Amino acid sequence: MATYSSWIDTPAVRSWGSGLPRERVAPVVAGAVLLVIWEVWVRTRLPDFVARPSGIVMAIPSTMADLEFWFDVTATLGAIVKGVAIGSAGGILIGIAMGRVREIDWFLSTYIRALYALPLIALVPIVILWVGYQPAARLIIIVISVFLPVAVTTADGTRAISKDYLDVGKIFGARTHNVWFGIALPSSLPFIVAGIELGFARGITNAIAVEVLASVNGMGMSVFTKSNELNENASLVYVLCLAIFAVGIRSLMIRFRCWLAPWSSR
Amino acid sequence: MTTAERAAYSLESQLARFRIMNAWWIRLTCYTLSIVLLLGAWQALGNSFGVLFVPFTTTIGRLWEMLRSGPLLPGLAVSGELYAVTLAINIVVGVSVGLLLARSKLVAAAFEPYIYILYATPTISLVPFVSVMLGFEFGSRVLVAVLISIFPILIGVTEGARSIPRQHLDVAAIFGSSESQLWRDVIVPYVTPYAMSGIKQSIALSMVGTLVAEFFLNPDGVAAVLLQGTTIVDSGWVLAVTIFICAIAVVLVGVGELIEWYLVRWRHTAVG
Repeated sequence: MATYSSWIDTPAVRSWGSGLPRERVAPVVAGAVLLVIWEVWVRTRLPDFVARPSGIVMAIPSTMADLEFWFDVTATLGAIVKGVAIGSAGGILIGIAMGRVREIDWFLSTYIRALYALPLIALVPIVILWVGYQPAARLIIIVISVFLPVAVTTADGTRAISKDYLDVGKIFGARTHNVWFGIALPSSLPFIVAGIELGFARGITNAIAVEVLASVNGMGMSVFTKSNELNENASLVYVLCLAIFAVGIRSLMIRFRCWLAPWSSR
Repeated sequence: MTTAERAAYSLESQLARFRIMNAWWIRLTCYTLSIVLLLGAWQALGNSFGVLFVPFTTTIGRLWEMLRSGPLLPGLAVSGELYAVTLAINIVVGVSVGLLLARSKLVAAAFEPYIYILYATPTISLVPFVSVMLGFEFGSRVLVAVLISIFPILIGVTEGARSIPRQHLDVAAIFGSSESQLWRDVIVPYVTPYAMSGIKQSIALSMVGTLVAEFFLNPDGVAAVLLQGTTIVDSGWVLAVTIFICAIAVVLVGVGELIEWYLVRWRHTAVG
């Protein structure tokens, strides 16, 4: 008799701790095979300057010993952290206002929706035109990239508040600021963190885009200049650092959400 | 309650009543007011700033002029082709790889960590590497655009297919479904909403991918038109193209929402 209960396998992640050994070995084998294919492919078919795994590993010490690398790291990551802080503070405030007061929602929603739909990279040229080829252009774009998702998710979260909480607040004589920051803010925390997570990802991407388009010094700019200098391995070291930063932020945000709003973690 | 408190309370309840009774009118006023105020502010600022920030009317004039006899429509045709190819690849490859990852535990275990790392990596930073490997031609543009926009579909389909309840599969087995019937009656209907919400996101992201590919791999298409405006420091040009892109983006996002709503409309009635 046919059974289909095995049609869909359980997630691989779940079986990591206790599953079959072959599923714990599989990612290692797959990663090794991918790296070997990459290495062999470049060695046999492509010019010497093209990045390959062994070259990247060799390039790590010399790239990191360069003072320029640390300037780039502090410039880019500093701008991202600053932009995320400003953008999420603004987004939370506007988001709560939109979620609590219908008139504010109606007033702002046209622009928020239009900007949210627009690929923000299209805003880079006009921002460059206004503020010049300056680091400020990067900060502005990061702030917008974070502000929009945070405002949208916070507004959604604030609208989804259970009416019971609001009624209890009313009975105990809550004032507007109590309702906004005592009820709306905590109960939409999971939404806010999700918005910040999205904003971080977009902020990193857009920061790199601005750096390259506006020639602002930073990690993204160096990825491109190192590549233009045919120093592909060093360029990939920068990419590796950006990837580690992005993955790190992602897992940090998941932990942050569990710590901040344990009731919402699945 | 003092008199002042009572007066305040009565005013508050009257205001609340007014807001409920006239919701439609207030809504209309808010929308109109927000548009009028923004355009007015734009016009006023534009008139006082001059070159760097042209007024709204000038911008619209520029847009009309560029649409009639400018580089905008030819640029749009170039970008549209890249966009269409990217979206098609996203849907075909995203859905099939997503189903494969759900079907095979071993493949998922082997490749899922790398898929997530690739997803988290800012794709723009991979552009120089892609261009060294594949050049600046259409192929590498498509690759960059796809890397930016495929993951919502892929991950959505995988998650969706994994969450098919055992009972559904068991019922299909009890009624003796063949593999093709199982697909038609259980798997495709169950996975469709997940795939559609991925496709909806991908419709928007493919546009980001298209612009990124065009910005960073030898400017081409609409992105090239936009950059041209920056080079000649023509704010009317840049604003016009930005508004044009924004309008297209709003339409595409709307289309995505409409398709999703249409394909999963049974969900609204079934679940409530």
